[in-house]
Amino acid sequence: MSSGKRITLQQAAEIVKDGSSLTFSGFTIWRRPFALVYELIRQGRKGLHLIEVNGGPQTEFLVGAGCVDIWESCWVGHELYGKYGANLSRKVGTKEILVEDYSHAEMMFRFAAAAAGSPYAITQTSLGTDIHNPDYDTLGKAGLRDGKRIASHKYVFTEDPFYGAGSQVLVPAAKVDVAVMCVQQVGEEGTVRTSGQFYSDPEAARAADITIVIAEEIVPEEYLRRESDRNTIASFEVDYILECPFGAHPTGMFGRYDVDGAFLKDFYAGTRTQEGFDAFAKEWIHGQDHMSYLEKLGWPRMLNLKANTALNYSTGVKRGQ
Amino acid sequence: MDTQYANPEEYGLADLLCCAAAREVQDHEIVFAGTGLPMVAIMLAQKTHAPNLKLIFEAGTLDGRPPEIPTSVGDARCEMGASRSSGLNDAFSIAQRGHVDLGFLGGAEVDEYGNVNTTCIGDYLNPELRLTGSGGNPDINSFAKRTVFIMVHEKRRFTERVSYITSPGWRVKKWPGGDFVHRRELYGSAFRGGPSAVISTAGVFRFDDEVGRIYLDTCHAGKTPAEIRDMCQFDLDISRVSGETVPPTRKELHIIHNVLDPEQIFIPKVKKA
Repeated sequence: MSSGKRITLQQAAEIVKDGSSLTFSGFTIWRRPFALVYELIRQGRKGLHLIEVNGGPQTEFLVGAGCVDIWESCWVGHELYGKYGANLSRKVGTKEILVEDYSHAEMMFRFAAAAAGSPYAITQTSLGTDIHNPDYDTLGKAGLRDGKRIASHKYVFTEDPFYGAGSQVLVPAAKVDVAVMCVQQVGEEGTVRTSGQFYSDPEAARAADITIVIAEEIVPEEYLRRESDRNTIASFEVDYILECPFGAHPTGMFGRYDVDGAFLKDFYAGTRTQEGFDAFAKEWIHGQDHMSYLEKLGWPRMLNLKANTALNYSTGVKRGQ
Repeated sequence: MDTQYANPEEYGLADLLCCAAAREVQDHEIVFAGTGLPMVAIMLAQKTHAPNLKLIFEAGTLDGRPPEIPTSVGDARCEMGASRSSGLNDAFSIAQRGHVDLGFLGGAEVDEYGNVNTTCIGDYLNPELRLTGSGGNPDINSFAKRTVFIMVHEKRRFTERVSYITSPGWRVKKWPGGDFVHRRELYGSAFRGGPSAVISTAGVFRFDDEVGRIYLDTCHAGKTPAEIRDMCQFDLDISRVSGETVPPTRKELHIIHNVLDPEQIFIPKVKKA
């Protein structure tokens, strides 16, 4: 049975409007929906509000390209391949972007709350830090806390009313327009099977109003339903699907391909300045489509990244010095 | 295998830090691992004195036993051999539940009460440099019984007041006013502990039990307490120095370089003269 959920990469990018709030699957440099990130940049999307459990190269590309007005998260960098987010850092300096800092657990719990339909989550993390400094409520100071899509407060402090456990922090649910997932397999009806750690994918998919799944392969639903306990996201939680092999490159995908560390290192080294970013985007993004991008990367490079099917990671990549 | 201590020319600073970090781990502990040198240190402990330790990777691997060193906690190498692979909601819920004994963390700046900054250099609202942000640093530091920070030692990093408290030390800010109070006062029944050591490229530091103030415990080979005090902007307590940081053994060096990190991803090999 076909559900009619299939769309193209161009159509997927068009679902993300100027000013949309957006989140992604994955974790730092793993399973980020790069094919769509590139397409958003090609289409010149503006004014995005990224709400991410954690950031990564996808943040850096979108921020560098000027697509993002607000970044709400806890971390950005390229792990081993670039120690911080140089594009975000530059645009913080020039005040071209608003940054709202939460802690990692707070971001996770905010998505879990949104995924459960709760208005907020309760936690005991990060007490006493500047993350809770009221002067650093960026969206509040910018007058953006409308109490609709952006919570009316960054935090509310309270005391445990049930067990007398003392100070508690209430963090608002992360309300997101669109979640874009990049996974190993999706069925024709939208059932998702990720392999390896699923990070914060189930919560991100459920929190968003619209969920788009980019998969290495679209497989028969019947195949996924033979072992439904292995599936991570249910069919009806997914609105649109598309097949896009190597769609996470340069980030990695468990069981399929490793992180392209050399690519990320080049990006990090080359995009400290806006001119550097623009040159990188000209070479790798503009005037390309996904297939020409893969062609430019070339077979030897992609085969080297390809995961060993027994180990789920590549034995060919050079990781150290 | 040779359990003799190695001679200074046989190891580098990264080896020394790695072994010092491994020695903070006790057997049977549940340890929350970040990316990098701490991961090597924990796996070193697992292969030496702490074979029963349990490793949690922030991205969602529980009781991990990776066959080769992951380059990040999201790495495909994390899953193999683990008790369970899931996601961040599990990892952080388990930590908040109180299961984590020890976490290893890093930082750009630390103050004398163990407050750590990984967010920005300079005024938050007009920063000289925006850094990575918090990641899980404050979370692990809030939830774990003990945390150990591994840091590059520079005078500007060991500062009287960090630019931004990303991760809570022993005296933290009580909001909305921002007055400094002891961590215990703020965390109430969620209080489990806090920073227990800082391992810098100069020495190993610990925190006074009562007021939570930092003091120098051991100096790395070649450094004197007075030199290390001069490498801090705050007035470092050097009255409790217990000696020199224990050097790596040859067995530890063998495990680091031939078993855990032969690709030299995190720990470079010292070139033989």
